[in-house]
Amino acid sequence: MLEQRLEQLVENTVVSLPEAHTGLVLVVLVGFSFSLSHVFSLLANRLKPRQILFHVLLDSLVLAAALLIASFINMVLIALHTQLLVEPKPLFNAIGAALAPGLFHVLVAAPYVSDLIAIAIWVLIHLNVITLVHLRFGLPYAEVVPLVTPGYVVALVLIALLFRSSWRRSYDRLASEFRA
Amino acid sequence: MGTSAPHIQSQVHRHRANWRGLVVVLVLAVVIALVGVSRMEALLRDLVSLSILRQVGIGIGLFFLILIPLTGIYSVVSQYAFWEGWLEGIPQPAELLQANARHEGGQQVRRFVIYLDGIHQQEKDHPPRVSAFLEELKQRLDDDHRLVRDLETYTFLPVALADDSGSAWFWRRLFHWQEHHPNGFVQLLAAVLVQANNVIKVGASSERRDGPIRNYELALKITLRLAEEGFDPSQGSELVLLGYSGGGEMAMGVADYLRSICKVPVQIITFCGAFSGDQLRERTKQVTLVVGTRDPVAAFGRIAYPGRLPLLPFSKWNKVCRQGLVQREVIAGMNHNGNRGPFSERYRGEVVGRVLDVLRQTERAG
Repeated sequence: MLEQRLEQLVENTVVSLPEAHTGLVLVVLVGFSFSLSHVFSLLANRLKPRQILFHVLLDSLVLAAALLIASFINMVLIALHTQLLVEPKPLFNAIGAALAPGLFHVLVAAPYVSDLIAIAIWVLIHLNVITLVHLRFGLPYAEVVPLVTPGYVVALVLIALLFRSSWRRSYDRLASEFRA
Repeated sequence: MGTSAPHIQSQVHRHRANWRGLVVVLVLAVVIALVGVSRMEALLRDLVSLSILRQVGIGIGLFFLILIPLTGIYSVVSQYAFWEGWLEGIPQPAELLQANARHEGGQQVRRFVIYLDGIHQQEKDHPPRVSAFLEELKQRLDDDHRLVRDLETYTFLPVALADDSGSAWFWRRLFHWQEHHPNGFVQLLAAVLVQANNVIKVGASSERRDGPIRNYELALKITLRLAEEGFDPSQGSELVLLGYSGGGEMAMGVADYLRSICKVPVQIITFCGAFSGDQLRERTKQVTLVVGTRDPVAAFGRIAYPGRLPLLPFSKWNKVCRQGLVQREVIAGMNHNGNRGPFSERYRGEVVGRVLDVLRQTERAG
């Protein structure tokens, strides 16, 4: 029964995700904003302009995929917990809208205030998703938080891993200036 | 006899301002007469209603919330453009001092004291009070010490803000307004914008992502200047970074890079310094803080950079403190600037004296 439900959910998701235009566009735009916020790490790695553009676009898609994975995890947990029929298309569209504060993530590139801006944006995103699930499925907040937090954590970890490796390479390059 | 050109110019400005004011008043009077007083009253009441004021306030707040990070982003763009080699070519550290290494003869300089100015700096020439301070320091330094001054601390290329690539047009206009605009408020605003730019640079220096490259570029600039001053790594000279206010942060940031490039010990002395200490390494020879008991900016630095608080014992700053590398000299009653600041007549001599005492102490300690 559980397997059947999961299978059905995955099938519905694969079929209806390309139709969730609003959500997809927003997720890609948020991914692009995230990618732009770390463009200086690409410059720090002394990449050529074309390489920088390629990396920005590639990172945008990777980050958008991370956000979609996180959204899918949320959806699976909600489906398993509520026994309700979860329609992927409207939910993805709505989650895309909940990610809208991420459009300002490009401002995290600013020095000194970056942590403050990043924390504010991530908190807003999480609160938006919690509120969305609470209103759409009528679940109390105490039940919603453990349902949406795993997906949120997965997104955070994936994004942090991507950016951390980029900056680390740039510091290695700086250290090589002294060895040369 | 006769009036000077600036005097005539200021009178002309004043007359123009008076005429403009008169025209504005006449226009307002005509508008009120046409629209009617009661209608104007109703309109004004709507405009200053609480909901509209709130919306305007929110709009202005959002504007600054976005403007400030955008300004910060713009200020670091040029440092990365330089790092990429898109601006005039970045020098290689190994080549910087080679010419001096081959040079023989000349007076041996045991210590180079490099002055890094505060956020008020807009060009390489220091303000009169700072110049007087540096003159006194230079006169009282030992003969085998050389003072390196007039460094543009907040640009990475060896140019002043007015020649900074990409933004020279903006800075030149700003400096002109700061010096010559007839409106005092505009002059003040221009001065604030210059200092805000330098504050952002201090923030970038302390930032864990942008700081390393920014500090490295400033270290290259300082090394270039040292090469011009005849610094030769083989002569066993030492470097002393003397930083005032934001210059303290820059000194902390470049010390380790200078040590690696110049291969000599580096010591830091800050007075009224505002810094994070995050870039410090245990390889710095010594750090001396000269602080005034009435300096709010230096005290604010501990809040702006929580790594300096004892609450975070594993921060780089606290590690260096535990190793006994940090010494503190307190001057009672000294403020951050102005008539009770370190460059004032009252405290200048004392600050210079403390700096010299520190230099002699570290010399004896070897």
